[in-house]
Amino acid sequence: MIHQLILNGLIAGSIYSIIAIGFTVIYRTIKFFHFAHGVVYAAGAYLAYTFFILLKINPFISFILSIVLAAFLGMAIDRFVYSPLRKHKTSNLVFLLASFGVFIFLQNLLQLIFGAQILTLRTGPVKEGHHLLGAIITDTQILIIVSSLVLFFICWLFSQRTKFGKAIRAVSDDPIGARVVGINSEKIIMIAFAIGSALAGAAGILISLETNIEPTMGLNAILKGIIASMIGGIGSIPGALLGGLFLGLAENLGIWQIQAGWKDAIAFVILILFLLLRPSGIMGVKTEKEKI
Amino acid sequence: MEYLIHILIISGIYIILTLSLNLIVGFTGLAALGHIAFACVGAYTSSLLALNLGVSPWVGLLIGAILASIIGAIVSFPSLRLKGDYLAIATFGLGVIVYSIAKNWVGLTRGPMGLPGIPAFKIFGYEINNVWAYLVLVFIFVIITFIVIRNITKSPFGRILTAVREDEIAAEAMGKNINKYKLIVFVVGAFFAGIAGSLYAHYISFIDPSSFTIMESITVLLMVVFGGMASLKGSLVGGSLLVILPELLRFLGMPSSVAAPLRQMIYGLLLVILMIWRPQGLLGKYRFK
Repeated sequence: MIHQLILNGLIAGSIYSIIAIGFTVIYRTIKFFHFAHGVVYAAGAYLAYTFFILLKINPFISFILSIVLAAFLGMAIDRFVYSPLRKHKTSNLVFLLASFGVFIFLQNLLQLIFGAQILTLRTGPVKEGHHLLGAIITDTQILIIVSSLVLFFICWLFSQRTKFGKAIRAVSDDPIGARVVGINSEKIIMIAFAIGSALAGAAGILISLETNIEPTMGLNAILKGIIASMIGGIGSIPGALLGGLFLGLAENLGIWQIQAGWKDAIAFVILILFLLLRPSGIMGVKTEKEKI
Repeated sequence: MEYLIHILIISGIYIILTLSLNLIVGFTGLAALGHIAFACVGAYTSSLLALNLGVSPWVGLLIGAILASIIGAIVSFPSLRLKGDYLAIATFGLGVIVYSIAKNWVGLTRGPMGLPGIPAFKIFGYEINNVWAYLVLVFIFVIITFIVIRNITKSPFGRILTAVREDEIAAEAMGKNINKYKLIVFVVGAFFAGIAGSLYAHYISFIDPSSFTIMESITVLLMVVFGGMASLKGSLVGGSLLVILPELLRFLGMPSSVAAPLRQMIYGLLLVILMIWRPQGLLGKYRFK
């Protein structure tokens, strides 16, 4: 029982991590909560459903196509909503509310197009899983855990080693300084949105291979993604990975003792405890202190 | 005609929510995103008291509102330490927690099955089950809420709230205990939201957790922002227009599977447009800094 719960925690945590890493990549450049990230995740799942199930395209091509389109969706949100707001130099709350607006708009657009019913990407019956240390794990679940680690390493290397990664960090640390040395911050933000949204799309596809697709799936995802990045230490990519895994484990070990319906409440209790007791999170950098 | 009155009653209830949230968000500048949780507490308290113990809805309304203010006091604690979007996410979380309790504590709230058969208000032995009579009742509560909140915001107390909003450190330097003011604002706001919840429960006579989702909190916040931050007249406009306008979709003959998401899409689009072109709202005097 406990082995299975730990495994379930790791699987849920891997999905949270991918969402949180994407959220973090974007957050580092824009410094506000991009709530509509959740709906990009849902859009990724619905795009995969459209290509793979409705149009019967080869799964590999349809997933790549969905991820690319998810990246474009993220860039479009930035271009048409956040970019005009940046020109006004408004507060984070204005961005957050606009982001809520985008979220509500797109979520209901998905519902209008695809209906409120539950869909799935699975085509055949669920295959029996492998036995591993007293727990059962399916191929899809292995794929989820492996993808989250691979995506983390790619993002982390990208952020540490490449020119774009360095430019993102420069914009993140000091936007004016970055502009002085000739970094086009609008372009860097655009790239961050593309990468982050591609990750969200990938997470949406992975979860819909494992469970179901529904229009409201994005809300839970972004809440867990935000909580994971905040408890991991907002703005830190390793923090997002750890926060996601921690959150997944905490939720699943929590329901060992109490009913499954309380998962969301557990997640927010953890968040509020972190915010009050250790606002900088597990891997947090102290610079966030001035804000809290 | 009855349907029209029904819409007016619902918009009256939203106006009470909007006015009370405007006190917290508009006048004091605290980004609270869990307002519907207070209504949920008020609604469930007075319904459960009436159903299980036979308590009069009037007493239940008061107890529900008081319990909501106690929750409001608890919610105010994060606001003492957190600011801006961090506070928004924390209060959002408290909204989710209250919703989870309503949904999962099946022994008390019957969970997703909801509470049917909630008795109506009675005056001198007569049940208020006529929509016209209920409209009058809700109207009276809207006026009470409006007057109380106007008096708070126009008083010296209200000027301190403005000071907290504009510059917390300066307000503190003037010797004001800003934590106390934040606490009072949350308690008062939650009290009226609790009343709104209770009015809703005894009017519809059925409640379930789905009436108190986090999306409802965002809708109320949209009403505040749309009408105007720190403007009470704005809240009257926001609370009524945003309830009545989407109903027009129904008159255009759309099925509810189209009208419901379309209504939400309009809300979403409106929020984006407002934030880009007029973040202080129609009649607002203040915008988030």
